[in-house]
Amino acid sequence: MELFLYTALFSPLVGSLFAAFFGASKKTKIAGIVPSALLGISLISSFILLISVLTTKETVHVEMMTWMAAGDLYIPFGFVVDQVSVTMMMVVTLVSTVVHVYAIGYMDHDKGFNRFFSYLSAFVFSMMVLVMSDNFAGLFIGWEGVGLCSWLLIGFWYHKESATWAANEAFIMNRIADLGMLIGIFLVYWNTGTLQYEQAFAAMPSLEIDVLTWIGIFLFIGAMGKSAQFPLHTWLADAMEGPTPVSALIHAATMVTAGVYLVVRASPLYDLIPSVGLFIASLGAFVALFAASMALVNRDMKRVIAYSTLSQLGYMFAAAGLGAYWVALFHLMAHAFFKALLFLGAGNVMHAMDSELDPFKMGGLRKVMKGTFVMMTLASVALAGIFPLAGFFSKDLILEVAFVENHYIIYSVLLFTAGLTAFYSFRLVALIFHGEERYKLFGIHPHEAYKFMLIAMSPLLLLAIIAGSFKMTYFEMVTQLLPATEYHVHSSLTYWIMTIGTQLFVGLAILYAYKKYTSRDIKVPDGTSKMENSFGYKLLINQYYIPRFYEEYIVKAYRELSDIFWTKIDQKIVDATVDGIANVFYQTGERTRVMQSGNLSTMLKWMVAGTVTLLSLAVAFGLAARYSGEIKTFLSGLGV
Amino acid sequence: MLDHILSILIFFPALAAVFGFAVNKNSIRSYGVAVATIEFVLALWLWFAFDSNVSGMQFMEHIPLVKTFGINYIVGVDGISLFIIILSAFFTMIGIASLGEIKDIKNMIVTLLFLQMTMAGVFAALDAIVFYLFWELSLVPMLYIIGAWGGPLRIYASVKFFLYTFTGSLVMLVGMLFMAYFYYQATGEWSFAILDWYRLILPESFQLWLFAAFFMGFAIKVPMFPFHTWLPYAHGQAPTIGSVILAAILLKMGTYAFIRFSLPLFPDASVYFMYPIAVLAIIMIIYTAMVAYAQKDIKQVVAYSSVSHMGVIILGTFALNVEGITGSIFLMIAHGVVSGALFFLVGVIYDRRHTKYMSEFGGLASVMPRYATIFGIMLMASVGLPLTINFVGEFLSLLGFYKQSHILTLLAGTAIIVGAIYMLAAYKKMFFGVITKEENRNLPDVNKRELIALIPLTIITIWLGVYPKVLLGPINTSVEAVVGMMHEKSLTQEAKSRIPNVTKDVEVVTNLAENPAENSQEEAH
Repeated sequence: MELFLYTALFSPLVGSLFAAFFGASKKTKIAGIVPSALLGISLISSFILLISVLTTKETVHVEMMTWMAAGDLYIPFGFVVDQVSVTMMMVVTLVSTVVHVYAIGYMDHDKGFNRFFSYLSAFVFSMMVLVMSDNFAGLFIGWEGVGLCSWLLIGFWYHKESATWAANEAFIMNRIADLGMLIGIFLVYWNTGTLQYEQAFAAMPSLEIDVLTWIGIFLFIGAMGKSAQFPLHTWLADAMEGPTPVSALIHAATMVTAGVYLVVRASPLYDLIPSVGLFIASLGAFVALFAASMALVNRDMKRVIAYSTLSQLGYMFAAAGLGAYWVALFHLMAHAFFKALLFLGAGNVMHAMDSELDPFKMGGLRKVMKGTFVMMTLASVALAGIFPLAGFFSKDLILEVAFVENHYIIYSVLLFTAGLTAFYSFRLVALIFHGEERYKLFGIHPHEAYKFMLIAMSPLLLLAIIAGSFKMTYFEMVTQLLPATEYHVHSSLTYWIMTIGTQLFVGLAILYAYKKYTSRDIKVPDGTSKMENSFGYKLLINQYYIPRFYEEYIVKAYRELSDIFWTKIDQKIVDATVDGIANVFYQTGERTRVMQSGNLSTMLKWMVAGTVTLLSLAVAFGLAARYSGEIKTFLSGLGV
Repeated sequence: MLDHILSILIFFPALAAVFGFAVNKNSIRSYGVAVATIEFVLALWLWFAFDSNVSGMQFMEHIPLVKTFGINYIVGVDGISLFIIILSAFFTMIGIASLGEIKDIKNMIVTLLFLQMTMAGVFAALDAIVFYLFWELSLVPMLYIIGAWGGPLRIYASVKFFLYTFTGSLVMLVGMLFMAYFYYQATGEWSFAILDWYRLILPESFQLWLFAAFFMGFAIKVPMFPFHTWLPYAHGQAPTIGSVILAAILLKMGTYAFIRFSLPLFPDASVYFMYPIAVLAIIMIIYTAMVAYAQKDIKQVVAYSSVSHMGVIILGTFALNVEGITGSIFLMIAHGVVSGALFFLVGVIYDRRHTKYMSEFGGLASVMPRYATIFGIMLMASVGLPLTINFVGEFLSLLGFYKQSHILTLLAGTAIIVGAIYMLAAYKKMFFGVITKEENRNLPDVNKRELIALIPLTIITIWLGVYPKVLLGPINTSVEAVVGMMHEKSLTQEAKSRIPNVTKDVEVVTNLAENPAENSQEEAH
């Protein structure tokens, strides 16, 4: 099994290096095909490992080599394939294989084709390190690695100012969270003496609750950055500047779920500190609603999906925070499938529409893009949580968890958000695929994507439909490792009311969206309508003015403070003091130069003055020495 | 030959430099490369012959110089100094090999070889006077490099560099003389040998004063805030090779000296001054990172970033535990490699455009993709991405200091944020966007001569990031001995509790100092 582990882990790296080899040369198809094939191999290996874990219930644990050893610290490159990591491995390799194949078509005309695949495969490698490591330091390697690849890929079109700005924003914001993570790691080390998951978690129950709480908080701060939780969420929407396959893979299916993975992985810790768990759940519920509200009005197709991702991450955290780790992980998996599908569909639409992102400028595309239309609709149905698609099983389960655990506020927020989710998803579908063909006004001639791209997407479609049926198998597998709490609403009547009620609510939201946005009256908004001038709309379209707040009060302040530090403090105070001291010597020399004028009479005067001074000093000291006893008593009398 | 390898390492380049004057101008380049390569191979041989299980000094040589005052020529290496010596030989080699077309190339090569002597000497010296000699001698070649090959403000910059660091060193020298005098008082014999001094236990009040005296010399050299202002001038005016050596090796003298002198000689004072120094280190980290962000000149960005990173090294040193000190020594190597490489990279673009202003660039990624890639790798190393060399050092330094203070480490940890801010901003200004300046449109990518320096540095950056164990092993062994000795020697309760007890195989330090020790015992009780 070790062979499969290494194959699964390292074939993306080989693929990345292979593509990097062609980095500076002209675009060549092979730089895309080979990494994709290698990812396929990684997928197969992961699948074999999954089967093995399922059948034998045994985990694979290897220690490749020592990384760092100093003092009592010992960190190996160790990897573990257990029920949790194998789930993540399947999600990562599956989605990335699909995205790689898709990207061969999507990036077809791009100059940086080879470079793109090098980065993308490097990302997969980092993600695999993240999920497979058996210790916190290894996790951190992957954690920063995906951050790097995310930076490279968001800023992939580096000639665009907005893209590079977004890349830097993402990196720096993640770094802020990473500091929290790092401190969490330090705390784990100094309190348990190790960074290996197994030993560290085993030592935790004997620690004081305060320490555990701090560990939990700091690790979660790390998770907040990667999973773009409030208030570190602004980078995710801006990250949509990257090529769409990147958004599908990194900013929907895999990297942003790393935070959820961390909380799930650290479940033995979070089980000990339910208060932190409750905070996580509340924040998750808040973000779910908060992000969904921004998705309601946004006029950028990719940003809507990004906010939707953010909102769904909130759901996952809500589940994980309430201790339903397996539910969170299940939603993570299901979400990865339908959200990646949605993004890839959006990519097709973008290609068809010459990179236009405003859905109001589309409309009626279902006639020319049948395949994409079907896929995106089904993905939206899955996202909305309609039976029997994947979202129903995973998302309704989270609602049930909140209900069963008696957190009714969280429950109602999540329920309400489910309605919003359905609304904005179908607002998008309606605007893009139904109604008038508004794109004709802009002289665009849309076309369907390559066949093989649609075929590449089909595994995701299949999984978005049937993933729910794996629920029991999955449950039995991961609960070997995670707490096996089943969440059943006690009375079956309540259960049915809840389920049917939710379905009805969501269904109505969909119908409303359809009705509102398929009508013939939809025009490209020009900022004059009443709705666009209402306070609520302005608040939402400006993302609650948070990005502006950050820009005005943090970015600008930092820049200005830096300038002050440099021009005022460093040059005018610190350096000027040094030069001032030097100047004192220099000036003294300059001034006293006149003594050495060579004029005999002046120099004689100075000589006499010097002699007098020396003599009087000698007398003074002589007297002082003679009467030192008296002087001392005198001084002590003065209290010196 | 192995018995005298350290002396050979020190004096071979100086001797070769003297002969270098006689070498024909056309063949001086090959001569310089050959000498530096031999020096580097010797350094590698030293590593090969080095026994990493021994914590103490190896390859020691002992020649009496002034018997009456106990001044001897003593050299030796342990895990702490070994890799810095190798690094200095390495940088001299690639520095000479990648020298561009400059005037007076012969003088430059001779100067560099002479500089290599002083660097090897400082890190190998085990006698305070010999150490001091090399320490001060190292100023001369650097003064000459800045003053002769520098930019428009070179005279001001070089004089400032010289006088500033020289002033600090004088205070340090006074401290050394006092130290020897205390040794004389305690034992009745003069000695400037560091290993003899290690056995002296001083009362805390003496330690505090001596620590402060040594601190002046070291802090200016590092340079620590607020003594750092000579550095931006020196870097700003120095030619590429000068900046590379200065950042990579010369700055490490200060941090190395903290570990060689301050910690083991004055354990109680080290604990006493730990918090103030940590605060200074944190100011260095955050403040200079912000100043770096405000710069318009890419070389100044790298120069200030150096100060910022040195702050982490200082912090790791004053963690006073094995993790932190090992990390800080590793970070010295790491910072040497990375900042050296960054200065090389700045030199590459300066040679082409004769400007260092970032506003003059933009969009370079499309015309110089290889350059952008290598710069990108070094950028990521500089911001401390895992699996690059810097991360190991930063991680261990911060981890070590976390044991001493949570809050201060949290503040110091912002290094990973502020570092990313100025580096990414600088990278964006230089490499991203579209080309706006006509002159940039046809810039040639890095050439072979430049790659001679850059490729090895890139390889080291990743190799030691993935497999730092080769260095960490020997460093760790020696650091454990130092920490063990500090714990043994420390007098105050505070120090005993701050410095961990790691007596595994450390020999118990004998108490030679009778009178001061008694005094201090009384004080301790």
